[in-house]
Amino acid sequence: VAFTPIPVGPQHPALDLESVNFTFHVDGEKVVAVRPRLGYMHRGIEKLAEGRTYLQNLYLVERVCGICSQAHTICYAQAVEELLEVEVPDRALYIRTIMAELERIQNHYLWLGVTAHQMGFETLFMYTWRDREIVLKMVEEVTGKRVNYDINYLGGVRRDLTPEAIHEMRKGLDQLAERTKYYTRVCKNERTVLKRTVDVGRLSPKDAEALCAVGPTLRASGVKRDIRADDPYAAYEETPFTVITYEGCDVASRLWVRCDEIQESIRIIRHALDTLPGGEISVRVPRAVPAGEAISRVEAPRGENLHYVRADGSENPARLKIRAPTLANLLPLCTMFVDMNIADIPLIIAGIDPCIACAERMTFIDPRKTAQWSWSSEELRRRSVQWYRKR
Amino acid sequence: MTADEAWRGAGLEERATAIKVQSRRRVFVDLAPVDFKAVVAWLVTERGFTHVATVTGIDVGSEIEVIYHLAHGALVLSLRVAVSKEEPTLPSIVDLVPGAAFYEREVHDLFGVAFEGNLDLSPLVLPDDWPSEIHPLRREWPADRIHRRLEGT
Repeated sequence: VAFTPIPVGPQHPALDLESVNFTFHVDGEKVVAVRPRLGYMHRGIEKLAEGRTYLQNLYLVERVCGICSQAHTICYAQAVEELLEVEVPDRALYIRTIMAELERIQNHYLWLGVTAHQMGFETLFMYTWRDREIVLKMVEEVTGKRVNYDINYLGGVRRDLTPEAIHEMRKGLDQLAERTKYYTRVCKNERTVLKRTVDVGRLSPKDAEALCAVGPTLRASGVKRDIRADDPYAAYEETPFTVITYEGCDVASRLWVRCDEIQESIRIIRHALDTLPGGEISVRVPRAVPAGEAISRVEAPRGENLHYVRADGSENPARLKIRAPTLANLLPLCTMFVDMNIADIPLIIAGIDPCIACAERMTFIDPRKTAQWSWSSEELRRRSVQWYRKR
Repeated sequence: MTADEAWRGAGLEERATAIKVQSRRRVFVDLAPVDFKAVVAWLVTERGFTHVATVTGIDVGSEIEVIYHLAHGALVLSLRVAVSKEEPTLPSIVDLVPGAAFYEREVHDLFGVAFEGNLDLSPLVLPDDWPSEIHPLRREWPADRIHRRLEGT
């Protein structure tokens, strides 16, 4: 599939992420129904994986997502390690956990900025992205890269944490904890934020469960489910932390869940640094994997990530299935739009933190006017900010 | 309820053709296509397996295996059914778990398995003008053959 000409349709000019098209059925200002269309950037990664070795696939999987690559490589490595029956050293498991939580922090900060931008709150957008640099510096210090860290290896991790890196990380975490406290206050009290998010994009707990929502989207509807707690991996079994939930079922709750999760991530990293075991950071693994199958789950920043690996005894997997969290949250997203204003669309989409963040082309159909028209996401965002300014 | 009690019971064991307990948290169950929907219904309504994590398709030669990953707490229960490549049809489970709709559509796109009762099996990840005979994750369609077919050579 990698060579096939796939129409790369709606692309976001500002954020270079995959795209999705939504067709909205509207009655005046109100959304009646919506139909999403994926596939604009289907890269055929699962097909590609079958022609590569287990080790090569680690680097392929790293590139499933530019923002949550750690969640994908941990997930993949765990599945292969289960098939190989290798025991990953404790120190490696702790480093994986630390990197996964740093990733969650940078993801949530990035998301907070994008969401602020969608509500026309540019100051908050700029501030959060400035402070996101603190995390990116820590990640760079450890891995040498700001994104696609390539730190995981089959059987462990590739780089150790030096005393200097740990020292810098602790300083950075103190700074971040302060800043996060401030942003949480802004998100809970600022009128601009509340006006645009409270009671917007409702997802009832019943719908959230029936439609198999995951991650902060599910937890903001009051359902306490988190793979780190339910199906613990890496060092999460030994790490005390709270699964954050809010009962609001709206964009505001999705905002608050993530604010609190940043604080929890900071706590998890500090605990991991305090109790970091010594010893090796990886074990050698054979190239060929014995026949069998394994399922691995990870709580990515956006929710449950699942990898399924089928091995046939050779050096290449017979099948690698990846289900990233955004696909799970797409059906729940569609129910959130119903009865909302057109002006709420950008924030509702942002609310699930879609990895297909950009609906460049949106089609609107109003049966009463027998009209059909398209807006880009930027046009829609501007219109929404102006619409709310008058209210 | 222990992880074991969560899935053991007549509803499943009577019908399963094979059960593999890989670990406390991972169980694989093979089922015949005629039985599998009743087992899903039993797991969803009686045992709280309401979360369908995803649906995986695998080409194993003359058949396509479809695996439903149902999760409950730490446990992932994978229900496997095999359908022939000539007539790949299964009953949809969207009436039991609405959240499975897009996963079935994805398997339909990539493997050509039809899910009876899923009212929207239009392309989800493939382009609108994708040739209907190409199911890209089937073994008989290696990437270069797909490429040649699409290029018309």
